[in-house]
Amino acid sequence: MPETVATELTLNGNELELDVPDFYPLAVVLREELGLTGTKTGCFEGRCGACTVLVDDEPVVSCIYPIALTYGKSVRTVEGLAESTGPLSPLQQNFLEKGAVQCGACTPGVLMTLTSLLERNASPSEDEIRDALAGNLCRCTGYSKIIEATVATVEAGS
Amino acid sequence: MAKDAYVPELIRPSSVDEAASELARLGDEGEPIAGATWIMLGPLYRRPTKMNFVAVSDLDELAAIEANGASATIGAAATHTTLAAAIDGGPLAVLAEAAVGTPRGIGNVATVAGNICANPYPSADLVPALLVLDGQVEIRDGGAARSTPLAELTDGSPGPGSLITAVRASGISDSSRSLYERIMVRASGEEAVAAVALAVELDGDTISDARVAFGSVEARARRCAEAEQALKGATLGDDAALAAGEAAAGALDIVGGADAPADYKRRVLPGLMKRALARVAAGKEG
Repeated sequence: MPETVATELTLNGNELELDVPDFYPLAVVLREELGLTGTKTGCFEGRCGACTVLVDDEPVVSCIYPIALTYGKSVRTVEGLAESTGPLSPLQQNFLEKGAVQCGACTPGVLMTLTSLLERNASPSEDEIRDALAGNLCRCTGYSKIIEATVATVEAGS
Repeated sequence: MAKDAYVPELIRPSSVDEAASELARLGDEGEPIAGATWIMLGPLYRRPTKMNFVAVSDLDELAAIEANGASATIGAAATHTTLAAAIDGGPLAVLAEAAVGTPRGIGNVATVAGNICANPYPSADLVPALLVLDGQVEIRDGGAARSTPLAELTDGSPGPGSLITAVRASGISDSSRSLYERIMVRASGEEAVAAVALAVELDGDTISDARVAFGSVEARARRCAEAEQALKGATLGDDAALAAGEAAAGALDIVGGADAPADYKRRVLPGLMKRALARVAAGKEG
């Protein structure tokens, strides 16, 4: 019978070994065990997207993703988008400049979803941006400023 | 760290054989796990929980998808995202269209077999899509393999100790047209108010064969014989679509959801069928 082992993963570029119960949600481990509170929790049902992080470069809702399934994988959170003393990522900077953040509860999840989109597709259309955001609920901005900031990032990169 | 009262454990097999063997050994005490989206929501749905889970999401041989014309073999651990990317229209379009409705944060990890096993979950979109394709579920019981029609897995489970390894879809011809149509509150990114999987064969403007299964309507999707009967032999158009929708509305045991009560769902079924048949007609002209 295979042994149950500690979860080994790469988090924001750093290798980690975690001894936490296998079925703790990734979001809970990030926030409560590792102090990475940039990842927000909202619905805890996988519906709102606030907790979105990247697992092997793809968006995953971390509130219903057991930590044990990150074994051997690379996890990126909003804290990994920029060094604490360095410049923001271009997308973050455009969010700041275009006023794409209001209450901020959805912002880390939105940033991770859009970061993944821009890594897969350097020049997405506005429809593709909106489609990518289907799983991220924002009840403040009406999405317009978020789209504007993303389009600005695309245009600056092209 | 203090242990909680409920602390299930994860077993990570290195092959399908090992996964099947572990599940057979665990019997009713264990369950396969892939994306975990349904299992993690178990307590919310008052679903019995297990103490042992066998991880299958990293077993490459379970993630393969082979599609050719109107036939496909889809690995149990294929995700909604990989399925949507693997099917490029054609007779199997219903599969891709059913798979793309899930937000990417879920669809990147949620799997075909997970969708089949999620029960009672009316919005498991891949189930009606696979039903109209006569999906055959490939199952391992330890070292033994068997195949069962998806329609016969009425509670979604292959049985204690068993592992779904793939689903084969080959029930329609290369000339068939299939689609998945939803009625939504938002444009995308959520469960449908009602959805229909449709596969039809046309002889000119006559519908010579029709397969219909609804999603987000009954507690678990099934083929709707009444709607299929209303379509077979009818002329492609709104009259046939509305008749099929009315037949379904009268026949189905509709459950209400967070976004719409059962009566609302019943009322939208004719309109849903009208949209679906209109797409078939538009495709025929195109």
